[in-house]
Amino acid sequence: MRRQLPIIVCFGFGAFMLIQFFIPKRSFIFAYENVLDWMQIIYVFTLLVGVANYIKINSKKVTGKAKGWGYNLIALLGLFSMVILGFAKGTDQGSPFLWMFNNLQVPMQSTMFSLLAFFVASAAYRGFRARTKEATILLLSAGIVMLGRVPIGEMIHSSVPDLANWILNFPSMAARRGILIGIGLGTISTSLRIILGIERTYLGRE
Amino acid sequence: MDIGILTSALLTLFIFSFLYKDNPFYKFAEHLLVGISVGYFLVIAINTTVLPTLFLPLFKEGNLLYIIPGILGFFMFLRFFPKISWVSRISLALIIGAGAGVSIPAVIEAQIMAQMKASMLKFTSFDGIVVMTALCTTLIYFFFSKKHTGWFGAPAKVGTWFLMVFFGATFGYTVMSRISLLIGRLQFLLGDFLHIID
Amino acid sequence: MKIDRRIIFVLIAISVAIPLIFKIGLPNKVTKEVKMVYDSIEELEQGEVVLVSFDHEASSLPEIKPMAEAVLRHCFSKNLKVVSFALLAEGTAIGDEILRNVANEYDRKYGRDYVFLGFRPQYTAAILGLGEDLHRVFPEDYKGISTFELPLTKEIKNYEDISLVVSLADGDLPTYWINYAEARYDQRIAIAVTAVMATTYYPYLSSKQITGLVGGLKGAAEYEILIDKPGMGSKGMDAQSVAHVVILLLVVLGNVSYFLSGKLRK
Repeated sequence: MRRQLPIIVCFGFGAFMLIQFFIPKRSFIFAYENVLDWMQIIYVFTLLVGVANYIKINSKKVTGKAKGWGYNLIALLGLFSMVILGFAKGTDQGSPFLWMFNNLQVPMQSTMFSLLAFFVASAAYRGFRARTKEATILLLSAGIVMLGRVPIGEMIHSSVPDLANWILNFPSMAARRGILIGIGLGTISTSLRIILGIERTYLGRE
Repeated sequence: MDIGILTSALLTLFIFSFLYKDNPFYKFAEHLLVGISVGYFLVIAINTTVLPTLFLPLFKEGNLLYIIPGILGFFMFLRFFPKISWVSRISLALIIGAGAGVSIPAVIEAQIMAQMKASMLKFTSFDGIVVMTALCTTLIYFFFSKKHTGWFGAPAKVGTWFLMVFFGATFGYTVMSRISLLIGRLQFLLGDFLHIID
Repeated sequence: MKIDRRIIFVLIAISVAIPLIFKIGLPNKVTKEVKMVYDSIEELEQGEVVLVSFDHEASSLPEIKPMAEAVLRHCFSKNLKVVSFALLAEGTAIGDEILRNVANEYDRKYGRDYVFLGFRPQYTAAILGLGEDLHRVFPEDYKGISTFELPLTKEIKNYEDISLVVSLADGDLPTYWINYAEARYDQRIAIAVTAVMATTYYPYLSSKQITGLVGGLKGAAEYEILIDKPGMGSKGMDAQSVAHVVILLLVVLGNVSYFLSGKLRK
């Protein structure tokens, strides 16, 4: 029952959403629209569960005085500040909530990802070797695109940007198309397996 | 100086300090970031999604049909109680099943039929020949039910080369993307904070 | 030849900072795929509706913001109506601010010329739902006003009333737009993505499932040339060029020392 009922629900809704694509009847469209609404509502609750879990884990570390608990306390203080300010003072322009978002979250998040620029350069110097034919092709393709996609490529030679464009629009595009078709076939087979109850990993352990 | 810019600059430098080595300033900023992000998401999700999509139709408009997704959504919180956590599988099954169902015709149409149509035999130009060769050899490479040896191995090898061209192009663009992110941060530090540039 | 990675870090920082301080002014060329996005907006008539979706996180703001501003400036300069929302949480506050700031540059009125609808986390349901009834997916806008009351949104039922969708993304959300909105409802889609995602979408460009592709800061710079309004995209191109050359030189140096050390060992 604990596993059968979800599998039946999965089959029911999966089969319906697949079939309704081919049946433009009003009753089907009505049911389809309702299912879309339900998906939206349930999905946001799954994300809220994640938030609750995050609070639970961090609270446990703070109360249990685990190693580095001070950082967990900072995380919780940040979280509750945003929540209290957001609900008490609103999220409009000029609100403290938006101030914290624009002056704390956005700069920190942008900076965190900008660190990758340094790491990609370091990794390229240390690891990018033309040891094999394949690695050489990869290196050449990367070099042409890197130069062709910036103004300096045109200054080096007028054909560099054209070559980069050709690589992107033809051989690279075609290889990506092959990957896309493969992904598409995989998606279809996995979706069918999920609907038919063959694939049950989403149910978790017994 | 604006307190917001000062705070942003300080936290930016805290994160950049990781480039030297891991340190308490970086850890502080990292944990603060995650906490604030989760808090931000919670407020936005409730204000802009839960209230208008569930509470508005259910309580303001009196549409009792919305009791069902409300209850199914509530079931998700039962994951915190091991004895009855299995009930949350019903809600998950709905989303996953419905998502799988809509994806099948969409993927057939958009990722397979449309892509195949666009690749139909174009042997009148060099570019067309390159595209057909690259596509066919890449698809052959991904066929793992047969060993890539002999007459089958040669086109699979050519497929590998075209994949390397794609990965190289992707790497080039990835470098471009990462550098752009760094440009953004340095524009802030040099411009808004230090007023060295416009 | 071993170089401490911190020296490489300093080199990269200098290669980006110096061109920002001392402008070189390298000329930028417009590519076909960016021109296609420009043309798809240019051919729209006054009053037509463009749906702009902020499908990105705060981390990609340095790339997304210049593209978003360029596209929105183009839309408002042509007196197009803009309806906007976000499919990722962080895009909500960012999208609202960018939209409002650009709209104010052109004295556009909220509710009549542009509307920001808010955030929907389940992208499949949102994209498909817009094909049936926008008011069902967004009964209220971001400020809590009923979409039946706003002059712009009360006239919009579904994709049939929307001329173009522009997805500003840093992930695979444009794939959802293509799979669901374009495939099922024949909705025209243009995409502006971060550079790291750009190569993913060339097959869709080739198959004409998208009307055009703006890729990264370079794409933003090209769009700024087309609308004749230089912005953050153009300002970053010198630094981008120099940094790319430095990284390529590092790769060449790494390979030269690798092959030389291999020869010495023999």
